Amino acid sequence: MSAVEIARPESLTELGQETLRRLMREWFNFERRLSAVPIVRRLDLGTFSREDYRNLLLNLRPQVVEGSRWISRCASSFDRDHADIRSIVLGHAHDEHRDYEVLERDYVALGGDLATIRARAKNPGSEALHAFLMFKSGEPNPGALLGAMWIIEGLGEKMATNWAERIESLTGCGPECTRFLRYHGGNDDAHMNKLYALVDRICTTGSRADDVVMTARVVGRMYAWQLEEIDEP
Amino acid sequence: MNAYITSTGAFLPGPAITNDEMEGILGLVAGKPSRLKARILKANGILTRHYAIDRAHRTTHSNLDMAVAAANNCLDGSPVPARSIGLLSCATTQGDMVIPGFGSMVQAGLGIPGAELFTAHGICSSSAMAVKVAVNSLKLGEHRAALVVVSELASRLFKNTRYEAAGGEDAIDFNSEFLRWMLSDGAGAVLIEGAPRGRCLRVDWMRGFSHANALPVCMGIGAPTDATDKRTWQDFATYAEAEAAGALLIRQDVRLLEHIVKLGVDGALRLIEEGTLDVSGIDHLLCHYSSHHFRGKIADMLDMAGAGIPQEKWYTNLYTRGNTGAASILIMLDEFMREVRPAPGAKILCMVPESGRFNTAYMQLTVVEE
Repeated sequence: MSAVEIARPESLTELGQETLRRLMREWFNFERRLSAVPIVRRLDLGTFSREDYRNLLLNLRPQVVEGSRWISRCASSFDRDHADIRSIVLGHAHDEHRDYEVLERDYVALGGDLATIRARAKNPGSEALHAFLMFKSGEPNPGALLGAMWIIEGLGEKMATNWAERIESLTGCGPECTRFLRYHGGNDDAHMNKLYALVDRICTTGSRADDVVMTARVVGRMYAWQLEEIDEP
Repeated sequence: MNAYITSTGAFLPGPAITNDEMEGILGLVAGKPSRLKARILKANGILTRHYAIDRAHRTTHSNLDMAVAAANNCLDGSPVPARSIGLLSCATTQGDMVIPGFGSMVQAGLGIPGAELFTAHGICSSSAMAVKVAVNSLKLGEHRAALVVVSELASRLFKNTRYEAAGGEDAIDFNSEFLRWMLSDGAGAVLIEGAPRGRCLRVDWMRGFSHANALPVCMGIGAPTDATDKRTWQDFATYAEAEAAGALLIRQDVRLLEHIVKLGVDGALRLIEEGTLDVSGIDHLLCHYSSHHFRGKIADMLDMAGAGIPQEKWYTNLYTRGNTGAASILIMLDEFMREVRPAPGAKILCMVPESGRFNTAYMQLTVVEE
């Protein structure tokens, strides 16, 4: 969680409420898109294998390693009038900047070779996702990345509460192999309070709200693409 | 043209059955009490329900008997005689006969001459499909009165002998036992007319959103216990082989159930976004899903997003009448109309989320006085 505690707003502005409704719909759309991705479908149908899990980690790592770069860049793109947002993002960057190491340890605990996962390049979906996030985070005052945070944090929670235990039971691996998946599951209330506060802080005009929602949509599509690539030959 | 629900009816077979009495009727699988029953009942919160089978597993009321009783109960409250019903629109998950369609049997049972017929095929949301066909037909001016009858007889699926034929204790896991402690029997009916009559319910709009393209089957009958066996029940040489393979058991993929709540919310947000639904104007919400599943984080988000419906506006009889699948929403609407007697102007949102392969239907009604 971020170093800065953010109070939950009493209520949201009308625009904030509308944006939250649109973001919820983007999330549900993303989840449906995700359910149709082959590796996730196998997780749902119970045919997900240990090899699937190894491939999942192999394909997630490059984007997780680069994650701290776009978050740091995003922080530096907020000017003095947005110092409050910058503090939140900085705290976030600090929390996340080494979580790829947890992922690597999970891969090794699964019987994988550390050199193999470190040498693995981004897949085309990760490449596109990373490029988009780096581009958006270089824009002045990139509040639109709230949309990216919405999708990526939502997925972190889904991995922790929904995927980790399922993967353990289907592959027979122990909790020492699912630490990365469980990493983002805690502090849910604090996450939500931060999100509610940021919605009102960032979505002060209709076009800013549109930008947040569009960013959530693009990130969701590219994330799904990244996972689809796992089954590409 | 508009459509108005001018009468409602329901039928529940036999006495109310308590949680302690259930297993005595459905039977002990391989002679042993269920280990999952208490947990499943605690989760669904149902206290009493009705069964159309007795302890000896004789059917006391066929699905047709219940449909006819609910239809007659509905028609008893209206001056419209059965013979002037232009369209008979029916739904059930499983008729007594595999074919012909349930509607044909109900028409014969009611003795309605020359009616146009519709039978919806599906699970819980098939009731909404049957209502929508009736509403649309009235709005087109094709008929002046349509009768919708929805009936469910699930208990026959839950006899201990069914599970024993599929392998006994080995066939029972959480997914195959979940619905045994959830579903029960009953029927509901509504009469829908093209003009208002007395105090009645105008159908403002009906919509549905299905997500079968995105998600796997969550509740079904027809697939064998072995998930890697891709055959369905009729692919087996005999029905006995299909049953032995567990292909005739009704199963719920409990892990996928969380999607039901999310998709229910998603559809409502979509209706708000397009301007169809204004939640602040809703006086009563009738939902064919236990309201406690809509609490927690998702309810908090809805409240923050200005899209929540306060708990005091929720009406349900699921806890006392049981979950009767497709019939539930009409049985609920009937009891709601008799018990709450909503005043003219009141707006009622009905919501039917079906887990089968994720279809959610919505209907808004407004109380009007002729």
